[in-house]
Amino acid sequence: MTADILLQVLVSGLLIGLIYALVAVGLTLIFGVMDIVNFAHGEFLMLGMYASFWAFALFAIDPVVALPFTALLLFAVGVVVYQTVIRRILKAPMLSQIFATFGLMILLRGLAQFFWKPDHRLIPHTLVGGNVVLGPVQLGLPQVVAALGAVGVTGALWLFLHRTRLGTALEATAIDREAATLMGIDGQKMFALAWGIGAACAGVAGGLIATFFPIFPEVGSNFILIAFVVVVLGGFGSVTGAFLAGIIVGLIEVMGGFLIGPEYKTALVLSLLLIVLLVRPKGLLGKA
Amino acid sequence: MSNGPLVNPRKAMGALALLAGAAVLPLLISDPARLNFLVLILMAAQMGVAWNIVGGYAGQVSLGHAVFFGIGAYTSTMLGLSLGLSPWLGWLAGGAVAVLFALAVGWPCFRLKGHYFAMATIAVAEIVQILVTNSDFLEGAVGLSLPLDRSGPAAMVFLSKLPYYYIILGLLVVTVLVAWAIERSHIGYYFRAIKDEPEAARALGVSLTRYKLIALSVSAFLTAMGGSFYAQKEMFIDPGSVLATSISIKIALVAILGGVGTLLGPVLGAVILITIEEYSRTLFGSTGSGTDMIIYAAMIILVAVFSPSGVLGLLSDLRRHLPGGGAKPKKATKSAEIRP
Amino acid sequence: MRFTVAKAMGRGATRRQTIKRMMGAAALLATTALSGLTLGAGSARAEDEIRIGVIYPLTGAAASTGVELKAAAELAASIANGEIAAPQGLVAGAGMPRMKGAKIKLIFGDHQGNPQVGATEAERLITSEKVVALTGAYFSNVTATASQVAERYGVPFLNGESSSATLTQRNFKWFFRTTPHDDLFVTNFFTFLGDMEKKTGKDLRSIGLFNENTLWGNETTKLQIKLSDERKFKIAEKILYPAKTTQMTSEVQRLKAANPAVIMQSSYLGDAILSMKTYKELGFSPSMLLANDAGFNDSEFLKTLGKDGEYIISREVWALDQAERNPLIKSVNELMFAKSGVNFNGNSARAFTAVAVLADAIDRAGATTPDAIRKALQETDIPASGLILPWKGVKFDATGQNELGQGIIVQVQDGKYVTVWPFDVATKDIVYPMPAWDKR
Repeated sequence: MTADILLQVLVSGLLIGLIYALVAVGLTLIFGVMDIVNFAHGEFLMLGMYASFWAFALFAIDPVVALPFTALLLFAVGVVVYQTVIRRILKAPMLSQIFATFGLMILLRGLAQFFWKPDHRLIPHTLVGGNVVLGPVQLGLPQVVAALGAVGVTGALWLFLHRTRLGTALEATAIDREAATLMGIDGQKMFALAWGIGAACAGVAGGLIATFFPIFPEVGSNFILIAFVVVVLGGFGSVTGAFLAGIIVGLIEVMGGFLIGPEYKTALVLSLLLIVLLVRPKGLLGKA
Repeated sequence: MSNGPLVNPRKAMGALALLAGAAVLPLLISDPARLNFLVLILMAAQMGVAWNIVGGYAGQVSLGHAVFFGIGAYTSTMLGLSLGLSPWLGWLAGGAVAVLFALAVGWPCFRLKGHYFAMATIAVAEIVQILVTNSDFLEGAVGLSLPLDRSGPAAMVFLSKLPYYYIILGLLVVTVLVAWAIERSHIGYYFRAIKDEPEAARALGVSLTRYKLIALSVSAFLTAMGGSFYAQKEMFIDPGSVLATSISIKIALVAILGGVGTLLGPVLGAVILITIEEYSRTLFGSTGSGTDMIIYAAMIILVAVFSPSGVLGLLSDLRRHLPGGGAKPKKATKSAEIRP
Repeated sequence: MRFTVAKAMGRGATRRQTIKRMMGAAALLATTALSGLTLGAGSARAEDEIRIGVIYPLTGAAASTGVELKAAAELAASIANGEIAAPQGLVAGAGMPRMKGAKIKLIFGDHQGNPQVGATEAERLITSEKVVALTGAYFSNVTATASQVAERYGVPFLNGESSSATLTQRNFKWFFRTTPHDDLFVTNFFTFLGDMEKKTGKDLRSIGLFNENTLWGNETTKLQIKLSDERKFKIAEKILYPAKTTQMTSEVQRLKAANPAVIMQSSYLGDAILSMKTYKELGFSPSMLLANDAGFNDSEFLKTLGKDGEYIISREVWALDQAERNPLIKSVNELMFAKSGVNFNGNSARAFTAVAVLADAIDRAGATTPDAIRKALQETDIPASGLILPWKGVKFDATGQNELGQGIIVQVQDGKYVTVWPFDVATKDIVYPMPAWDKR
């Protein structure tokens, strides 16, 4: 009995951890390429959730089917945000950048409340509804699909960054902006691309999370702290690091919450972050 | 920078005029809500100036200052409630506890740089908020209330807003003077060296950690006093209202908005931020449509995009672009732009 | 360009000018700000206006509830002003006859879920907007600070929907509360469980507490522990979870492992929805889920969850099916539906009642001075037949607490909240135990 419960907790933690990783990879990509912390990342997630919701409510398209559209839409949002706001503060001090993305966060929340009302919404039934039972372990199918999506997206992103010309150019910009420019890589284009892909990742995460999580204008605030913890723990800019860190955070949160007490689950994750940072000041896989 | 005479007479005159204006201002205002609005500005300004000592001068961006604010609020309130200690002494006690905490936390955290340091400070503040929320000793999430019946100067509880105004004005002046003294002293010189050329400073034998700790401790002490003041003014504190990360961010915003690393930038930032905040909520908050958030956020983004070094930066920028232009039209342009 | 200038900023010569300029700008801003704040107050104000301040969370995580409360308060004001004909028997100061046709004007303030903002808004409403009374603020901790401001200024504060017991234990002179508080609600829970044991013959003595970790959840937990000791119940698990969480797996796993007969849960809307999804995901169905109102009774709870919200049991102060016993409920609810497109729920019915009671008191006072309104509130004695809530009436005791309020217990059956307790006012039989997820 106890072993069964522990196994269940372990698997649940793994699933939620993969979902955290999915939310965080976009954030870490943007940071890696241009050293900007995007406080509005949770709001990209929120927009992705609303995109899925409206696709379902208006056109009866399932969130999973709508994923490519959600990704494209959020890619566009990311590029627009870059072109209108971020491009202008590239060389500004770190604090002004934090300030700008913080403003963006509030703005997107306000717009969501303005256009879509502060109501909580849920997509009532999706292709991936229901439960999976594996022996003693019971899991929600939406969570399983979201976790698989996380593995897929992170894998695809890794392949893109390491196996395609465009991705390599992006990586090169991340490693050394000046040198990349000398090599003929258009830095502006790369930055816009990073924001597009970063936002698209958040959009996909939103689309997958929307299959099991309530949707409301402030939903980003539930996820943003954890997303930051995952990014820092993995090391700013490291996609692989974020993937690993997401799993670790999910496991610690669910296991710790179960064994020690749910009121301390976030404190446990944050303490782990501090301990890791003291030993490795650049996170698990951060670039030096 | 610190080479002229000890006190520049023109600056001193300006500062005195500003102070005199601030001292007289509330006497011209009879409406407590407007006085309260001024108190909110002064509170934000005081926290911004205090934050600026570590975040601006020493360049160590803390996004966890709510922890010092909360320590101040909780220490003076607890001492008042359990031992009957006067908040005037509780003020100092809160500051002292905050300094101890700053030393304990700062020492390991100062190994971290840039964004890592900023995130670590958020983590520390969040952990403290969770611990306080679950602490029976501090009444957890229920929060602490100051009794209404114990009013008067000794209890630092007043029915009128006027005494609060002068207390926080005094605290702001003290905070600015501390910042000013640091700016002019060799400590301030080391702070800037740590911020701009850490390696060179280290090579010259400056102990980075030591000076960062000094900056954090001074900032923590002053921020904690701001927290105690908050408790005396609102007479109710709970983890969400004095330890939340949103407070940390607001403290930093005030400084960024006005101009990081400048003496009075945070004061200007507080005037602008609180005005936008109160205005957008007063005028549009009652609709329930989120319009107030949209306006507030749009202002923040505009300032960040068009004036990344704060409004002070924008002002000197304007000056450069309009050589010979009189001061008045420039001022008019500016205020027209930021008027909500 | 701007950036390089910015970097040079704050050094030497530019600085002096900057400070001067900044002083100018700051002074200008402060002046505009100050004159601007008068805007609301300075605008022409009819002599025959009765201004009432209403503070709700209109932005932030609880905005959806706040907007609903706002609609209910507006409905009550329209009825008091005679813009909408008052249904027969309703006590809401309809037409305000003794105020010589003066109209109520509600001035709304947004507290954003923040106690300090709540106090600031109360201060502004009292001093700038010159309101004669205040109501709100839904969140208990905001009601605490906002009513403290009202107390300082000697302005009546009538709270309709905050249930923290401590609010009326502060010896305030100007604070009144129409809703029963958590003491009564929690006591009701245990009385109900006792009745259920007698009725079903089942042992319901082991309880799992599952409460959110703010003022409300904490006070509820304390009361629950106290009462379960007194009445010989056993607490199998006690969980205080952080609100606004991303997952509730660890919480639900702990409950599942402890396997209590009854779960008592206090959650706001978002968490209530997420917990239900998690129960289903992990296949956990307790034999009874006893919810503490709030999120579980929000209009959006069932709209969002649909069938997955079935069979939960919740304490309530209002239910549409009580219209069978009180025709007022039906007629006022129709007005609400016509106005806002949603039925009343426990929260909005209480917000409506607060404004109605206030309007009635002001009308009886025949004046808008604080003392007159306070005196009228103290003399309030509204019979059960004049209310849309299943209370015995409204009558305030010395602490300002309505002593005639009472709670009911409802269950979701076929997509509706039906009254199941007290048994003498129940309209449906309780479904017990709650069917397992795979047997629905």
